[in-house]
Amino acid sequence: MTTLLSLRHVEKHFGHVRAVNGVSLDIRQNEFFALLGASGSGKTTLLRMLAGFEALSGGQILLNGKDISHVPPNHRPVNLMFQSYALFPHMSVAQNIAYGLEMEKLPRTEIRQRVDEILATIQLSALASRKPEQLSGGQRQRVALARALVKRPQLLLLDEPLGALDKKLRGEMQLELKRIQHQFGITFIIVTHDQEEALVMADRIAILQHGELLQCAPPREVYEHPANRFAAEFIGVMNVIPVARDGAKLTAAEGSLIRADIPDGMGGDLVAAVRPERLRLDAHACENRLSGRILATAYHGLDLQVHIETPAMPKPLICRVTADAAEARSFRTGDVLSLGWSRADTRIFAA
Amino acid sequence: MQDRKTLILIAPAFAWLTAFMVVPCLLILALAFFRRGIYGGIDYEFTFENFGMVFDPLYARIFLKSAWIAGLAALIASVVGYAAAYAIASMPRHRQPALLFFAILPFWSNYLVRTYAWIVLLNREGLIVGIARALGFDGELPQMLYTEGAVVLGLVYNYLPFVILAAYAPLSRLNPEIAEASRDLGAGGWTTFRRVILPITLPGVATGFIFVFVLSIGNFVTPALLGGGQFQMIGNLVYAQFLTANDWPFGSALSMVLIAVMLVLLTLQTYANEHASTGRQSTERADG
Amino acid sequence: MADRRTFRLMLLILGLVFAFLYIPISVLVGLSFNAGGMPTAWTGFSLKWYGALFANQDILRAAGNTLIVGLVSAAISTVLGTLLAIGVEIRRRKGSVLETLIFAPMVIPDIVLAIALLSFFSLLDVRLGLHTVIMAHVVFNLAYVCAVVRARLKSFDWSIVEASTDLGASTLTTLRRVVLPVLAPAIIAGGLLAFTLSVDEFIIAFFTAGAQRASITLPMQIYGMIRFGVTPEINVLATLVIGFSLVTLALSQRLNRGGLPGQ
Repeated sequence: MTTLLSLRHVEKHFGHVRAVNGVSLDIRQNEFFALLGASGSGKTTLLRMLAGFEALSGGQILLNGKDISHVPPNHRPVNLMFQSYALFPHMSVAQNIAYGLEMEKLPRTEIRQRVDEILATIQLSALASRKPEQLSGGQRQRVALARALVKRPQLLLLDEPLGALDKKLRGEMQLELKRIQHQFGITFIIVTHDQEEALVMADRIAILQHGELLQCAPPREVYEHPANRFAAEFIGVMNVIPVARDGAKLTAAEGSLIRADIPDGMGGDLVAAVRPERLRLDAHACENRLSGRILATAYHGLDLQVHIETPAMPKPLICRVTADAAEARSFRTGDVLSLGWSRADTRIFAA
Repeated sequence: MQDRKTLILIAPAFAWLTAFMVVPCLLILALAFFRRGIYGGIDYEFTFENFGMVFDPLYARIFLKSAWIAGLAALIASVVGYAAAYAIASMPRHRQPALLFFAILPFWSNYLVRTYAWIVLLNREGLIVGIARALGFDGELPQMLYTEGAVVLGLVYNYLPFVILAAYAPLSRLNPEIAEASRDLGAGGWTTFRRVILPITLPGVATGFIFVFVLSIGNFVTPALLGGGQFQMIGNLVYAQFLTANDWPFGSALSMVLIAVMLVLLTLQTYANEHASTGRQSTERADG
Repeated sequence: MADRRTFRLMLLILGLVFAFLYIPISVLVGLSFNAGGMPTAWTGFSLKWYGALFANQDILRAAGNTLIVGLVSAAISTVLGTLLAIGVEIRRRKGSVLETLIFAPMVIPDIVLAIALLSFFSLLDVRLGLHTVIMAHVVFNLAYVCAVVRARLKSFDWSIVEASTDLGASTLTTLRRVVLPVLAPAIIAGGLLAFTLSVDEFIIAFFTAGAQRASITLPMQIYGMIRFGVTPEINVLATLVIGFSLVTLALSQRLNRGGLPGQ
């Protein structure tokens, strides 16, 4: 696939604060790309630089190989869907959507036709003459999306597009957004702090921390092979076990041996990490083992999360037990439980 | 958008205010330091005389009297206004906007007309005297119009809505749970009011008090109409220097003193508000 | 919030305060329809004093002057005040000098501004008249318009400005098609407020209108009449002025829901 957008050593400084620090990325045609990070990670600043609302302090942004770093926002073939939706309160749904087309000075008949088309796509034809204040949150969200999409930008930027919706609606809209992206064949860049949202929707995820790019990879790789401890703990739940190293031998604090592949060139204090769903109840059959007392259990419907206090870790070890296994035996607070996992599921990071 | 673009938006108003407010005010500031000419003009020689004259016992007395009347009016307006605002705030929530609206409504009718209404009520052939007669009172009624009391009454009447508005703002923002918390902790209704509600909402009244004081002390319409011809406050004194006595430098000096009093009070108020802001912020946080 | 007894006390306070606020004005309005015209005796309903008022050339001319001053100064101050409000609110760097300058016309005593302008105009040998009153009135009017528009801008969602730019609009188009329409109710309310203030303003007009009869405004006319004592004509005039203020206020309330003008 061809590259649509290239970021080259992009920098943004606010006074002494480096909000974005030397980020380089290539984003492909038709990709659904997620910028993931906590608040203050620089993800929104980066998005606003792509839209043209923040000037670059350094570096370059190339669209189709052309430098657009200094092109003002109203002349970029890039559109932004705002976090607040930013619908014009004095215009109807149809007028809101038509606005961007009117700016392109398109003939009236064409504007009408394209507005009608996209209203049908987002299933809001019946509400075309409503004002934004008369719409529900989900409907506003779709109008904001339609208003940006109708211009057929080469690149659509979405700033926390689902942030204002309730949890159930958010799940539905995640799939809806993917469907629309596929249907229109437009590259989407979405900013989110919700790792689950990024995992579900994106073709690739870029994790940002303190304005720097930590890792850029498909969801599966980000989840299974995090680049460092921060990424490992930021995405999903991760059990982190401090280990002492003696050559190739790793020992947990209470003495049990941890078998794992140590990446080349890794020195200093290390931690071993394993995902809760990789922990198994048949500990004796596994290469790594830990045991402790059950501190608490949390029922999640799909599974049962068991928190285990172990001398090997400062924080409780978290284990996900499937619904079937949870029914097969009891997990009472205070019971001693042994858990195991394989060498292949163990990741080693610098502490 | 950058500062340079906003400059185009700001510049016209900025220019207007500079030309017709800043420059004229600087001009009278300068005038206050010149000497009055023999035939009423201005001699351009530097002097502090005009400010010295302000402290002449004759004028100092007018100053003190103005301050006394303004202070009295502000005090009465503050007490009544706070009570009214408190009463509005204790009515059902959905009725409060209408009540507030009608409390402030008179404020938007003409000042002269509102003052004139009291002439109609208070004069010798006025409504109050008429009612007293109709009720069979034959004796000599005390003079009501053209007294100090009439001036104070007129000022209170004209500026009361202002205090109600200023006092209502913090009262309406007050989280009712704060009063409930005080009751829950064992305080009675009066103690809750005195120890909790009043301290939190007092800055609003202070704002009202200062504005009424500032507006009253420089007023010349109310003293002229309700105080009678002989009654003088600083406003009337300034008026006279410009329109009858023709001593512009002295009139300017008086104005500067007026502005100085106003600035001091406004600064005090800003300071007091900042001082009291900790208590208010915590209520706002609980609200939002 | 209050028990029964406190609630009754509050009702009593409200009753007294509203009586204090409304009785004097109501008396005026009532008297304007009194055939005898005097406050002490009701001699029957009549509109004859209204007739007398509308035959008074001085009053009609003063009303015309006031209308001119009100309309022109409201128009100028609406434009200047609105631009100022938008400019100040999008400025990231808040200048305290600018804030003071905008705040000053609202707190400066009328008499001080009045004599300052009188000195200023006479020093520059500007002939006094309605035009000087207009210049003076714009000073405080634009501050009030600015305050009303800024109050609306506080709850203004600035992202719609960026959205408009993002959709391809220039700064001017954004101002015309997004910012101004959204602000329109506040701008009109500000304009109405300015008009009302200007029509009611007496002190500054008194000092800056000059001596000639041709430039007397309605408040100046009223002041002159009041000084001569109580006459039935003033009751009528006062009633009309009150009615006029109420209509404009109601209008601006309707347009700018959520907040009294100047609040």
